Amino acid sequence: MPKLLDAIDAASVRIGQLAAWLGLGMVGAAVTVTLGAKVGALFGAPLRFVALDELQWYLFSATFLFAAPWALKEGAHVRVDVVQSRLGPRGRAWIDLIGGVVLLLPFALFAVYVTWPTAMESLRLREASPDAGGLARWPLKLAVPFAFGLLFLQGLSTTLRAGAVALGRAAADEATAGEAR
Amino acid sequence: MDHALGVAMFAVTLLLIFVGYPVAFTLAGSAMLFSAVGMAAGYFDLDFLSIFPERLFGIMGNSILLAVPYFVLMGTVLQRSGLAEDLLHTIGLLFGKRRGGIALAVVLVGALLAAATGVVGASVVSMGMISLPVMLRHGYSPTLATGTICASGTLGQIIPPSIVLIVLADQLGTSPGALFRGALIPGFALAGLYAAYVAFVAWRNPAAAPALPDEDLEVRGAALLKRVAFVLLPPLALILLVLGSIFAGWATPTEAGALGAFGAMILAALRRRLSFDALRGSVFETAKLTTMVVFLLVGSTAFTLVFTGLDGDLWIQGALTSLPGGRVGLLVITNLVVFGLGFFIDFFEIAFIVLPLVLPAAQELGITGEALVWFGVMLGLNLQTSFLTPPFGFALFYLRSVTPPEVPTSTIYRGVVPFIAIQAVALALVIAFPELVTALV
Repeated sequence: MPKLLDAIDAASVRIGQLAAWLGLGMVGAAVTVTLGAKVGALFGAPLRFVALDELQWYLFSATFLFAAPWALKEGAHVRVDVVQSRLGPRGRAWIDLIGGVVLLLPFALFAVYVTWPTAMESLRLREASPDAGGLARWPLKLAVPFAFGLLFLQGLSTTLRAGAVALGRAAADEATAGEAR
Repeated sequence: MDHALGVAMFAVTLLLIFVGYPVAFTLAGSAMLFSAVGMAAGYFDLDFLSIFPERLFGIMGNSILLAVPYFVLMGTVLQRSGLAEDLLHTIGLLFGKRRGGIALAVVLVGALLAAATGVVGASVVSMGMISLPVMLRHGYSPTLATGTICASGTLGQIIPPSIVLIVLADQLGTSPGALFRGALIPGFALAGLYAAYVAFVAWRNPAAAPALPDEDLEVRGAALLKRVAFVLLPPLALILLVLGSIFAGWATPTEAGALGAFGAMILAALRRRLSFDALRGSVFETAKLTTMVVFLLVGSTAFTLVFTGLDGDLWIQGALTSLPGGRVGLLVITNLVVFGLGFFIDFFEIAFIVLPLVLPAAQELGITGEALVWFGVMLGLNLQTSFLTPPFGFALFYLRSVTPPEVPTSTIYRGVVPFIAIQAVALALVIAFPELVTALV
């Protein structure tokens, strides 16, 4: 079991960090699109890069969707630490255990369940961009349920680890308890 | 007329948030809990949740939110490459000969740099680490030093192009450019008042803010000029270009943000400070912060869908529009609630939770168009004050974490009091004279 959890954590970190680098791609696409339009306009012929323009928010979406499990593992999602900061590591682990079971896991499951049909429909129709020269829409829609699936897995790992700490089976580990902002 | 479940959802969610599970998932999870309860009680129709995917795609394709990672990246690159630190150091050298010079430099850099990030924590911590030791070593009073750093670190909330203003614009449904223009006068007036206060202290009480001795001004004359040209002017020009292109209507905030992030990387690379570590650190921090912000919005979207399904929105709107005093009553209550919440939760949670609830009531009471921009700037100012106010203000905790132990927490508390007074005056002026905001909109 611990090996499986380690594998989930490692995958979240890898995928999340990979997604983070897409941010540079966003900057590249945006700079090209903006300069193309503005500098082109100076010469009376603004250039329009529809695909690159759409790529910007494809990358934006991919970044936050696939960085979410990593952010969860690293405790980067904000919390209110008024109560938390007064508790010991085991108290904090109880919060993460109960919060995981009652709040995070049901939501992640729901998100997979509710976005799956939309993704399948989009895939079946090979949905494209409404703009000429735009990108195919279905890969983006297909990515959503997968991203929430990964979030569910990371949530499972985080919650189980918190459970072990809460029940006194394991020592508190900073990464699991999360850092209060 | 049965709002009981909606009221219960609001109360339980607020309580759950304070327990300390990540806010984004608390909001989303509470939506799950209460849709189940609502369905069991026969009050809730699952159709309300079936538009969640559509809302999610709306967030993914939101061109205003796209500006958030760009401005964060611009700020983190300037910070991680050390350009921000150099900037503070150079301005300190420039003003060092005058009494209160370093404190003035802190106010200036706070206004300029925080503007590029708008993240209170990042600017308070980095300015605290860089300038607090220098000020203490040279005999600045710890009260003045800590107060100046805390207050200047929060300036970036309100001075454009802060991501706070971008998110506010998105939530209010106005253009970020309009909010930037609206915040310009109040933001710079605040910076000016801070500077005036520092100058006043240095004049009345020279011992509290001494000038640097000559031997500490290691760079002078031509060398200093060169320093100004290479260290001070480039980032300054970049920030002004980004702001200017937005105000001139030449670029949208999203476009200007992307160019700004690119420009920051070029500047760092030209000074050979863009190491792989610095770049990786900036990229990772940007991704985590963006994810945090967007997921808060995802969570609050789920929350709002269910809350609306349980008629909670009607309850809130009814309560807010029937307040005694009408518009004034709404303004008073909203300001008090936002100020109170600002002690415990950060800006983004407040924007995503409170604004959707308050907005319909505000619009019904005639706060639309330009007045909406004014409303946003007022809330921004209010929150900024809240972040400064002891004992819970965010900025205070951040500074505490980088302050040497011999400076007691009570010193930081006493230090921010004059700045809170300045804030209160500015907030009162903006409420009394909306023209301060709307003049440039």
